[in-house]
Amino acid sequence: MSAQSYPGRRRTTWVIFIALCVFTFINLTPLIWAVLTSLKDPRDAFTIPPTIIFEPTLKYHIEVWTENDFVFYLMNSLIISAGTVFISVPAGSLAAYALSRIPRRSAGPILSALFTIRMFPHMLLAIPFFVMGTFLNMIDTYPLLILALVAINQPFTIWLMHCFFLEIPRDLDEAAAIDGCSNWQAFRIVILPLARPGMTVAALFSLLLSYNEFLFALILTGTDTKTLPVAIASFGGEDISSWSLSAAGAIGIMLPIVLVMLLLQRHLVRGLTAGAVKG
Amino acid sequence: MVRWQRGLWLFFLPSFGLLALVLLWPLSYAVYLSFFDYYLGSGERTFIGLGNYVDLLTEARLWNSMRTTIIIAFGSVAVEFLVGFALALALYRLHGSAKVFSVLLFLPHIVTPVVAALFLKWMLASNWGFVDATLLTFNIEPPDWLGDPVWAKVSVILADAWVFTPLVMMVLYAALQGLDTSLLEAAQIDGASSWNTLRHVIVPALIPAIIFVISIRLMDVFRFFDLIYVLTGGGPGTATETITIYTYQLGFRMLEVGKASALGVITLIVVAMLLLTINRGLNKAYRGGDR
Repeated sequence: MSAQSYPGRRRTTWVIFIALCVFTFINLTPLIWAVLTSLKDPRDAFTIPPTIIFEPTLKYHIEVWTENDFVFYLMNSLIISAGTVFISVPAGSLAAYALSRIPRRSAGPILSALFTIRMFPHMLLAIPFFVMGTFLNMIDTYPLLILALVAINQPFTIWLMHCFFLEIPRDLDEAAAIDGCSNWQAFRIVILPLARPGMTVAALFSLLLSYNEFLFALILTGTDTKTLPVAIASFGGEDISSWSLSAAGAIGIMLPIVLVMLLLQRHLVRGLTAGAVKG
Repeated sequence: MVRWQRGLWLFFLPSFGLLALVLLWPLSYAVYLSFFDYYLGSGERTFIGLGNYVDLLTEARLWNSMRTTIIIAFGSVAVEFLVGFALALALYRLHGSAKVFSVLLFLPHIVTPVVAALFLKWMLASNWGFVDATLLTFNIEPPDWLGDPVWAKVSVILADAWVFTPLVMMVLYAALQGLDTSLLEAAQIDGASSWNTLRHVIVPALIPAIIFVISIRLMDVFRFFDLIYVLTGGGPGTATETITIYTYQLGFRMLEVGKASALGVITLIVVAMLLLTINRGLNKAYRGGDR
């Protein structure tokens, strides 16, 4: 369609452009407002009308990471996320590889079963984890939360990696098989090097999922293993005098994700619809 | 080759072992627990068969939370679909600058859900929140966004829409880009109006993507927890208490884990039935509409 050839069409394009600009701006107000709040002294934060021009200060960004336990929570978040990725991605990749190589009629039902798991309410999984965790005395330990996150992460990882393995031609495996490679050798020597970019994407998505996860972290962690989302949820919102501080914390939590997402742009749709970020 | 292929099944072992351990076993345990009157505080456990289910289904609070869930689910999915589709079409029309817009519009979706909820809380907080402070500047008395039963529902719907419209937009935009442009050109040559092109060419071609995105959104609304928990906690009273929030209250506040498990099973059944109906309905409408 050559949109430029008619003056009428060109005018519509301009209208759409301006409407999108306005919508985008309104849509981003909560974000912009949070950034502004994090740079304000409380006396600027509580005014009618809202202050737009003020003297910005980085005080709260520094304070939240130095005078609170946020670094500790960040460490917890990182340990738990890394643990999840190291269990979930290798296991998921192996299964996804096999899934992409077995006949379609066997793979189909497995794939739909994995997709059905996506439908399960997380609450239904959280209760037994909580009860078993209480019995085994594992509440507030890393392994319990990591296992719970692997549970919600595994179907997603398999599903995503399956797409990547499908893109690697089967002829390669067959050639390897004819040359006398075992399944494992073919996978390790021929396929794995080609699948590395896909695995990186799956790992980043899994990392995000675990970093953002709130329900399981809320239920299964305590003072020793509290993650960033749980910390900011109990910290922010309640007391308005700490708005600037919690806004600074919230922005800090958000920044690494924005960076990872920019890296992942090309794969966004595939990953997100599989339930990557908002488990 | 057949033997070689058979060897592949071994590759499933680690993953399926994990899934059995961390998913199937806990889920079966939850179903098992749902037949017990089990208060975790005292650890006393008595088998009561379907007692929990009967209790729940005859309870006003469950039906209230079910109604709330349905209002919030359909309200937010409707907003997300309409706005998301409009945005996707706008992006599709823009070609060049679409990239910048899609990144900016996507930002609300990639923020950690809890953090997104806090951002919105700071917008909607009474008196000092951005929305109220702005309205008060113009001497408009704002409603109590999070404290009034009706407005709280509206706020939760808008919050959900803020976070998830970008996802709907992206999926539909991706589908639009995969559209066969010769169809559009043919419609243009035949002199079809934009509305007719949209209705008779674009929408039918996008039906699979539309079914897909509405289904995943509905599944997620039924289990989404973070936003409501941070924004209203299910309040005021039980005005925004969805099934998920009610399950949380039952299981982790009142420690009635048996009853909470039963509620989880009920949720699963409701979601499954809902998705089946929707997929059937949409498929039928799509097949019946064109012929």
